[in-house]
Amino acid sequence: MFVYYLPFIVLVFASLLCVFKSDSLAAFVSVLSSLIVSVLSVIILLKPNVSASYLFIDGFSKIMVVLISFIYLTTVLFSLTYLKHVEKPLLKRNFYFLYLNLFVLSMLFSVVVKNLGLIWVGIEATTITSALLVAIDNDEPAIESAWRYIIIVSVGLVMSLVGVVFVYGACHTLDITKIALLKSANYKLLLLGSVFAITGFATKAGIFPLHTWLPDVHGRAIAPISAIFSSILLPVALFGVYRVLSSVEMSSLHLYAIVLGFLSVVFASIFLVNQKFYKRMFAYSSIENMGMILIGLALLNKYAFLGAVVLLVSHAFAKSSAFYSTGNVLNIYKTREVAKVKGMVERLPFTAYSLVFSGLAVTGAPPFGTFLGELLIAYGVYIKFGLFWVLVLATFLVIAFMSVNYKVARMAFSSSNFDRAEKVRMSAFVPLLNVTVSFVIIFLVGVIEKILMTGMIK
Amino acid sequence: MKELFVLVGFAEIVLVIFMQWQYYLKKIIVTFAISSLLIGLLLFVQGGLQNNTSLIVLAALTLLVRFFFIPYYMLSHLEKVYKEKNPKQVVSTGTSIVVSLLLVILAYVIYRLTLYRYISVEAGSIPIAIILQGIFLVISRNNAFVQLIGYMIMENSLFFMAGYMFPDLPFIVEAGILLDLLGLVMISGVVMKLREDSVSEVVDEFDEFRG
Repeated sequence: MFVYYLPFIVLVFASLLCVFKSDSLAAFVSVLSSLIVSVLSVIILLKPNVSASYLFIDGFSKIMVVLISFIYLTTVLFSLTYLKHVEKPLLKRNFYFLYLNLFVLSMLFSVVVKNLGLIWVGIEATTITSALLVAIDNDEPAIESAWRYIIIVSVGLVMSLVGVVFVYGACHTLDITKIALLKSANYKLLLLGSVFAITGFATKAGIFPLHTWLPDVHGRAIAPISAIFSSILLPVALFGVYRVLSSVEMSSLHLYAIVLGFLSVVFASIFLVNQKFYKRMFAYSSIENMGMILIGLALLNKYAFLGAVVLLVSHAFAKSSAFYSTGNVLNIYKTREVAKVKGMVERLPFTAYSLVFSGLAVTGAPPFGTFLGELLIAYGVYIKFGLFWVLVLATFLVIAFMSVNYKVARMAFSSSNFDRAEKVRMSAFVPLLNVTVSFVIIFLVGVIEKILMTGMIK
Repeated sequence: MKELFVLVGFAEIVLVIFMQWQYYLKKIIVTFAISSLLIGLLLFVQGGLQNNTSLIVLAALTLLVRFFFIPYYMLSHLEKVYKEKNPKQVVSTGTSIVVSLLLVILAYVIYRLTLYRYISVEAGSIPIAIILQGIFLVISRNNAFVQLIGYMIMENSLFFMAGYMFPDLPFIVEAGILLDLLGLVMISGVVMKLREDSVSEVVDEFDEFRG
């Protein structure tokens, strides 16, 4: 049992050590902590499911723990070299790593607790621990985006708190395992509470219509923070949505979630067409992917559920790679505009290929895991709603695919007169590693299915 | 107890409307402190009447955090110039008061048509009215301090609602919410300070934030 608490102890200890005013100590401790937490997450993966007083770790929780740990590791590694390029950082390095460790701690907390109220507390805590990380660039737009993040997400989360209170009013418990088994609840109040809870958590996940904070934050935060936000923070918030959906199996509630997911895909795809800024473009791509994952989670179909988790995992590695790459691009080109970035293949070959492959991966191109994930979700949509809705969904996915990859290809393969400016270092290696993992996921679908099936709420 | 709930709820609504017409940030923060004091006292009385220890502890925490610490922290972070500053309003004072009153009516109608059937608490529309007013305060002011207070009003109304309607809500959840609020205010204080120092009056001109 102790092993389940170890990642938290390691992270608390690492955070405490980061308080000392030593940049190198903070960096070393964070690398070490991320390595230990990653190893522990794999050990937890092999352990049985747990349902204790405040702890609930099922197959999906375990996958989330592994995902958070590995993205944490790559983000720390990428930050080591990337932070040197931040000209006037808001936080000293030790505080940067302190907040990063606390941020990861709050995300891990959110995916292993049993109580819906505590899931809310964990997700709200992610806002507190990450707000200053958004403003690290210390310029006007970064600070403004941090403020928008705080206020929009917090207001959204108040909505989910209303939902949590209503769910309690209906069931007299917030224990997700008990809610799922309740036979005598005030069902209408439970439905209303669940709708509020889903809408609030979906705000944090960047789901339409309260997604407006997401492009601003992802567009202005530094690359490692955009990466960790897009690849694990959004899925952690969606995990909150999943906990509500899996506890309250009402068809109207699931339909509501599917509609939100569908609208997110539609909206993001349309906005992707005219994006002039590459970081914002990947932010909208995250909205589109989260929309697809939400559809998969809400469909109540084992193929769609598996597809959602596969998409979530593969997207996390691909999108983090994409954002790490955009950080390298920004360092050299000093612009966020797509049109002003030319000839990346000659100037930044490693980053160019990372960006091209991650662009393909996040838009669901084969042979990446995202392709299989989207295919399984589309199959789930076909079973439930028929061919017409699959075709509608596919149309918007194609629009998103064309929009992202056309722009990325233009950035990478257009001609320029610049010389090569990239050296082989950690910041070039990490994006390549992550996009490779995103591809490898397709071979691990069987393992993911096995982990998911080893324990569910019902 | 029901009369007390209605009385405090009515006072909360009046206090939020009072905030809508206030020009000075200091007065808005003090009004928020009074609003939190009322909720803390309500929880305290209810805890005493029901002999509910966790509700009494929660009341004490509410008074400590919402009535004392947060207003104190905000006032200490408010530079003199901002204490006297007229927070920029998107909607005029007169209009915002009318809208606030309309929101109270809207909350009543929504509650009667929907939630009342499932909760059956006569005055249940009061917390909903306060939540709507909190949202409106966030929207109607450009000032970060007022926006944060708008958010805290929404949370206050939830404590108010949960304390009265569902007093047996697990203490660990309520304490967690309170701690989160504390952290949020402190982080917001830092961001607001940076924002006041660096961001120009109207921020919508950032080209990149469009679309």
